[in-house]
Amino acid sequence: MIEVRDLRKSYGTLEVLKGVSFSVEKGEVVVVLGPSGSGKSTLLRCINQLEDYQGGEIRIDGASVGYSAAAQGRNAHSEAVNSRLREQVGMVFQSFNLFPHRTAMDNVMMGPVYVRRVAKQEARELAGGLLAKVGLADKAHQYPAKLSGGQQQRVAIARALAMQPKVMLFDEVTSALDPELVGEVLRVIRQLAQEGMTMIIVTHEIHFARDVADRIIFMDDGVIVEQGAPERILSNASGPRLRLFLRRYQGDYLAS
Amino acid sequence: MFNILAGNLPYLLQGAVVTLWLSVVVVTLGTLLGIGMGIIATTRSRIAQSIVTGYIFLLRGIPVLVVMFLGYYAFPAFGFRVSAYVAVGLAQIVYLGAFVAEITRSAILSIPAGQIAAARSLGMRRGAILRQVILPQATRLAIPPLLNSALTAIKQTSYASVVGVWELTYAAREIVERTLAAFQIFLGVMVIYFLICYPLSLAARWSERRLSFSH
Repeated sequence: MIEVRDLRKSYGTLEVLKGVSFSVEKGEVVVVLGPSGSGKSTLLRCINQLEDYQGGEIRIDGASVGYSAAAQGRNAHSEAVNSRLREQVGMVFQSFNLFPHRTAMDNVMMGPVYVRRVAKQEARELAGGLLAKVGLADKAHQYPAKLSGGQQQRVAIARALAMQPKVMLFDEVTSALDPELVGEVLRVIRQLAQEGMTMIIVTHEIHFARDVADRIIFMDDGVIVEQGAPERILSNASGPRLRLFLRRYQGDYLAS
Repeated sequence: MFNILAGNLPYLLQGAVVTLWLSVVVVTLGTLLGIGMGIIATTRSRIAQSIVTGYIFLLRGIPVLVVMFLGYYAFPAFGFRVSAYVAVGLAQIVYLGAFVAEITRSAILSIPAGQIAAARSLGMRRGAILRQVILPQATRLAIPPLLNSALTAIKQTSYASVVGVWELTYAAREIVERTLAAFQIFLGVMVIYFLICYPLSLAARWSERRLSFSH
């Protein structure tokens, strides 16, 4: 479903991704762990082309992301091509990024109405169903400012799902939440995993990673250091960098 | 004590009607011009950006009275004959436009990057993001400063009297020359200007409340 090959990305002279390769199968849940600044978020943002990249290749369902190969080097896709690609990739952000001037319902309807050109009534039914799915049917007509962080993040998940994406990207979606609100968001993500949604999840919740991941990728300093089944990565951590990272999150690690 | 003002009130009100017309035209066209320029200033075209930035910086550094004189004398200098109303009106539109462009530009740029990232991640195209995400939020931010610039522009129409445009202030000066009752006449003028501006202040307050996000 997703293939990333030798991905390289820099901001000026700062190289953030130094040749990242991995693939994600349909229905697979991949969790990306790693310390801050290891390039996890940048990786996600490259996959739906919110960031461009300097080298390597990303493919979603065989279609090349951001660039196409040319006789000499590569050609950047037009914004229209990138937009069509983003329609198939849902993304949820650390800071929610709900549209504050729209109700929860309107937020979820945005994609279907302004991208898919679905009739308002049909979009409203779709959005109502998704809000019910994330447990917020009764909050449909509230503005984001009136919702808790956990509720806002669940609306954001519903908004991404409204485009019926092939894959969902979660970028540290619980990092900005009060601890007591984390559970309600993770429950929604776990339910999606059980329904067979293909997902790439960047998180610091190691307990959750073990619970939901089919595979864990550990990144540090712009490269993939280790990847494998959660049991192998988390319980039999071999490499020194991974062990250091896990020790830093020990509280959570021991609790699992 | 206000009998001279009372006697000349109809003449003042005729001037007020001209001021009102001038204000409506200048504020409407100046604001539209400025919003257009402000949006252009946030597009990715470097050339468009530098043209608008130059326009803003130039006009911000010139007194409106000088712009008005330039407008008044520019047309004859190139061999055109236009009425003083048109010359002064155009000068004021261009002047207001620069301030509105800056307000629009900064309101658009203050929308958090996450809003645009979220809209793009849904697959929204640039035009839809501008109309559905950026402009509704920028409008709310821009209303108080836009009101300020509109009120300033209305009051600055009084400068038009200097180049011989007959409006409220010009009419007042005529009456004062005739009657020497400067204090009561200008007291009346003050009240009339206030009455023209006050509804605009109220309208802005109302729209600011209506556009707030937490109902």
